[in-house]
Amino acid sequence: MSTLGIEVSLQAPASAAPPPEIRLAPPRAARPARAGWLRRNVRGMAALVVLVAVLAPFLWLVQLAFRPADRIFDEALGFTPTLAGFTSLLQGNFVRSFANSLVVSTLSTVLSLAIGVPAAYALTRWNFPGRRHVALWILVTRMAPPIAFTIPFFLAYRWLGLQDTVVGLALVYLTFNLAIVIWLMQTFFESVPASLEEAAWIDGCGIWQAFWRITLPLAAPGLAATAVLCFVFSWNDFFYALILTRTQAVTAPVAIVNFLQYEGWEWAKIAAAGTLVALPVVIFTVLVRRYLVHGLTAGSVKD
Amino acid sequence: MATLSWTAAGAGWQAQRSRAFAFGLAPSLAVLLVITLVPAAALLVGSLTPLSLTDPAATFRFDDPLVNYRHLLEDGRFLDSIGTQLKLSVASVALQLGVGLGLALLLDGRSRILQASRTAFLIPMVLPPIVVALIWKILYTPDISPMHRALEAIGLPVHSLIANADTALWAIAVADTWQWFPFTMLMVLAALQTLPADPVEAASLDGASRWQLFRYIVLPHIRPVLVVCGLFRLIDSFKAFPLIYVLTDGGPGTVTEVTNYYGFIQAFNFSYWGYGSAIAVVILAGVFLLSWGVGKLGWNSHEHPGH
Amino acid sequence: MNHTDQGIGRRRLLAAGAALGAGALLPGRAPAQGGAKKYQGVTLNVSTFSAAYPKLLQQWLPEFEQLSGARVNFDAPSFPIYNQRADLELSTHGAAYDVVNVTFIYSSRWIGSGWLTPLDDYIRNPNLTPSDFDLQDFLPGALAPESGADGKLYGIPWTAEALLSVSSRFDLVQQAGLAYPETTDDLVKVLRAVNRKERVAGFVSDSHYGWTFVPYLHAFGGDVFRKAPDDLFPTLDTPEAVAAADYYANLLREFGPDGAITYQPDQVTQALKQGRVNFSDAGQLHLAQLGDPASSRTIGTLKFGQVPKGPAGRFPGTSVHGLGIPAGSKNKEAAWAFIQWALSKKTTARAVAAGYGSPARRSDIDSQAYRTRQVINGSDLARLALDSIEQASKSGHMKYRTVAVYPQVDQQLNKAIALIASGQAGAKQAMQQAQAQSIAELKRSGLSL
Repeated sequence: MSTLGIEVSLQAPASAAPPPEIRLAPPRAARPARAGWLRRNVRGMAALVVLVAVLAPFLWLVQLAFRPADRIFDEALGFTPTLAGFTSLLQGNFVRSFANSLVVSTLSTVLSLAIGVPAAYALTRWNFPGRRHVALWILVTRMAPPIAFTIPFFLAYRWLGLQDTVVGLALVYLTFNLAIVIWLMQTFFESVPASLEEAAWIDGCGIWQAFWRITLPLAAPGLAATAVLCFVFSWNDFFYALILTRTQAVTAPVAIVNFLQYEGWEWAKIAAAGTLVALPVVIFTVLVRRYLVHGLTAGSVKD
Repeated sequence: MATLSWTAAGAGWQAQRSRAFAFGLAPSLAVLLVITLVPAAALLVGSLTPLSLTDPAATFRFDDPLVNYRHLLEDGRFLDSIGTQLKLSVASVALQLGVGLGLALLLDGRSRILQASRTAFLIPMVLPPIVVALIWKILYTPDISPMHRALEAIGLPVHSLIANADTALWAIAVADTWQWFPFTMLMVLAALQTLPADPVEAASLDGASRWQLFRYIVLPHIRPVLVVCGLFRLIDSFKAFPLIYVLTDGGPGTVTEVTNYYGFIQAFNFSYWGYGSAIAVVILAGVFLLSWGVGKLGWNSHEHPGH
Repeated sequence: MNHTDQGIGRRRLLAAGAALGAGALLPGRAPAQGGAKKYQGVTLNVSTFSAAYPKLLQQWLPEFEQLSGARVNFDAPSFPIYNQRADLELSTHGAAYDVVNVTFIYSSRWIGSGWLTPLDDYIRNPNLTPSDFDLQDFLPGALAPESGADGKLYGIPWTAEALLSVSSRFDLVQQAGLAYPETTDDLVKVLRAVNRKERVAGFVSDSHYGWTFVPYLHAFGGDVFRKAPDDLFPTLDTPEAVAAADYYANLLREFGPDGAITYQPDQVTQALKQGRVNFSDAGQLHLAQLGDPASSRTIGTLKFGQVPKGPAGRFPGTSVHGLGIPAGSKNKEAAWAFIQWALSKKTTARAVAAGYGSPARRSDIDSQAYRTRQVINGSDLARLALDSIEQASKSGHMKYRTVAVYPQVDQQLNKAIALIASGQAGAKQAMQQAQAQSIAELKRSGLSL
C-alpha cells in the first residue's frame, strides 16, 4: 500500500506561471539546429536511459514469462518465445484466484466509494466541533500496520464464519480504502466552488440533491482517479489475503506464493503469474495517467 | 477551505443542513468504528492474555495481564527486531529521498519525452508488492539472475546477496527503494512546478551556477516536501512484508527480521495470539507516535489554508 | 391424515420398487468397493508440501476423480509455507482443507491439540474401506507417530525415511585415495580433500537444521530435551551441543556453496543431480530421485552411506509424513476415500515402480521392485535406510520429536545454525540464545519447566 493519495493535500496552489526551466545560460540563436535539438533534449535522452535501467528488472520478469522452461537457466538472451508458462497456469487454482482478485477489488472499491464519498463531502462543507479529531483518526487508520488488524479480524472472522470469503476480505479492505476515499475526495470537493452549491440551495435544492447534480459531476475525474486507486490498493494487497483466505477466496498475489519452488519449470510459472498479476495495475496506470496525475495535483488548483 | 456562508434562512435551515451532513457522515463513522476501534480494543484485550489456540479455553485468562509485555522486554529477538526495523527504515527512506529527488530534478522540464517518461517511472510504485518481491527474488538468486551473470562476465563475481548477513538488509533496502522512489519523485516534481520563476531567473542572470541555484533557491523550497515525504515513507516502511517473506524469511539468522515480521512469526506460526497481539500493540504505539509527529508538522492543509 | 395399512404398504412397495429399479440402472458395482461416482459433486481440497509422492499423486488424480466423481484441488506449496498455512488453518478448526499432510515435526502438536480427525472408524467401516487396505501392512514405526496418546490413529503414512549421507562425486573421493567417511572426523578430512575440486563444493544440506543437524547433535552426545517426553527442559547449550553446532556450522561455512544456508530441499536435490555439490545428508524421499537417469547427471558417480558416527555413536534421524483429515472438514467421508485410494497397496506399489524411494508399507519395502530399483550405482539405498530405521527404533533417540512443542524448538535450531554458519555469532552464543528463546517459547505454550 502506498500513501500515494495523501500527497494531494500537501500541494501548494499551482502558480499561474508555467513551470520554470533552469537554463544553463542565456539562449544563443547562433547555434546550429541539430546541436540545439540535442542540447535541448539531452535531459530527455538521459531520462530515457535512466528509465530503461530502472524498468529493466520488471522487463526481465516479463521476458522470463515467455521463455521455454528448459532455457530458463540459460545464459543466452535469445530464445523462441512460448506461451507454455501462461498455459501451465490454467491448471490448478490460479485462474480462480485471479477471478477472486477481480471480484474482491471491485466489491471493495464500490463499498468504499458508496460509504466514503458522502462522508468526504460532509467533512468538506460542514464545520463541526471535533472535525480535526475525526480527520486525524481517519488518517491514523490508514497508517496502522496490517498485523494490528489481522489478528482481531482473523479471530472474529472465524467466529462469524467470514473466514476465506470474498465478502470478508472486501470488508477488511475498508480499513485502508475508506480513509483513502475520504481523504482524496475531500481535496477534490474543495476545488469545487461553494458558490455553485449555495446558488442551488437558495433555489431550494436539498444538500444532497445539489451534491448529486452539481458537485459530483464536477469532481468526476477525481472520483475516477480515487476509484482506480482503491482498486489498485485492493488488488495489490498481500498480507490480509495471506492470512484471511485459504482455498475459496484466495487472491492472485497469494496464489503465486504456491509456485515458489526451485525447479526450472516453476520459474516460468512464477514469471508468468507475476506478469499477469501486474498487468491490470499497469494498464490502469497508463489509461488513467492523465487523471492520475491530474487527480494527484488537481486538489491544489483553486478558483 | 471553503466554509459555507450563512444564509438569512436562520437556525432552522442550519439545523436541517447539519442533520443532512451528519446523515452523510454517519455511515463512514460507524463503519470505521467497527472496523478500526473495535479490533484495536480487541487487540489490546488479547495482548493481556497468554491466548494460544492449542488450548483456547485454558489460555484466555487475565490473571497476569502484563505477562506478554514483560516477556517482550526480556525477548532479545524482539529488541533486535526493533533495531533492524529502524536500520532498514532509515536506509530505505534515505535512498528513496535521494533517488526520488535526483530523478525529479532530471525530469523537471517541458519536453514531451520528459512528460511521457514520468508516467513510466510510476510503474515500480503501482506494481503489486508481491510482484516486486518476485522480481527481486529472481535478481538475487545467483543461478538465474542476469545481474549476477553480468557481474561474473565482467570479472566481478558476487556472492548471493541475500544469503550473506552483511548484505542482506541492504539488498532489501535496494529493492524497497526501487519500489518506492516514484513517490518522492512525484512529490518533488509537483513542488518544483510551483517554484516561482522570478528568483531563479534573477539569480541565473546574475551568474549563479546550477549548484548554487539548487542549494539556495530550489532546496529550501522543496525541503518541507522532502521532510513530509520522508516521514510518510518512514511510517509506511513499518509495513514492509512481502519483500522479507519472499526474499529472506527474516534470515540469514534473524538479520532481516523486522518487528512486523517477528510479529507475524509469533502470531501466525505457533498460534501465540496473546504474544503476537502484544507485539502488534507495540508497533501500533510506535506508528501513533510518528503520526502525531507528522501531525505536529502541519500536514493537514485542510486546516491551514493556503501555502 | 388417513393412513390405511394398505396405503402404507403400497407406499413401501413403491419405494422399494423405485430403489430396485434405480439400482438396476446402475452399473453393477459392489458397495464395499468404495462406490462408483459416490461423491459426485463434491470438491475436495487436498494440501501437502511439494515432494515426490504428492507429485505422483497429482499425476494420477484424474483416475481418482473418475472413480469417485469428486473434484480434487491439490495444493502443494514449499515445505515451510505449507506448514505455516496448515498450522494456521488447523488451529481454527477450519473447513478449507479436507486432506492435509501430517508433517513429521508437527504431528504431536496437531494430534495433541485435537485438530485432526481419528481415522479408526473409517478404517473399520467395510463400506468405506476395501478389505485389502491392510492397515497392518504399514510399518509399526510409521504408524506410531501418527497415533495419539488416546491410541487412535490420525494419519496414514506415505513416507518413512531415514536421514542418510550421499556423495554425488564419489570419484573425486576415490581420486584423493580416501574411503567413504565413517566418523565425523573422517568427514572433515574427506571434505578438505575434495572441496572445490572441479568446481564442486564440498557439502550442503537443507536449511531445515532442526532435521538435518540433530543427528550430529546426538552424535556428539547432546540432545534436544533433557529426557523427552517426560522432562522437556531444553539442553541446547550444553558443551556437547555447542561442540556439535560448531562442527556442523563449520561444515557449511568452510565447504558450502554460495548461499548454502538458504538451500531448500529441492535445491539440494538439484545441486546433487547437477554435480555442483558433493556431500549432503538427506532422506530417501530426495535421494531416490538421484537415481533418475533422465535428470541426474551424477548417477554414475554416486555413493550412499549412513550419517557419520560421532564420539557418542551414530544416530540417524527418521521422518514419517502421513495424510490426515482436519477436524473441521465438511467432506470427511470423501476425504477418507481419497486417502485410502492414495495409500492403497495398488497406488503405493505403482509409486515404487516409478522410482519412489521411501514407502511406508512392508510389502513395498520387501518387494523386488523396490529393492532392485533402489540399488543405484551399486549403492543399496534401501538397505541403508532400513538399517537406520531399525537402529532408530531400538535406541529411541527420536523421542524428542514426539513432543508437541518441538516445532518451536525446531525453529530455534534453524536460526542458531544459520547464525553460526553466516558468521554472525559464535557457537556458544548462538546456542545459548537458542536455549533461552526455547525456554521462553515453551513457557509461552503453557509448559511449566
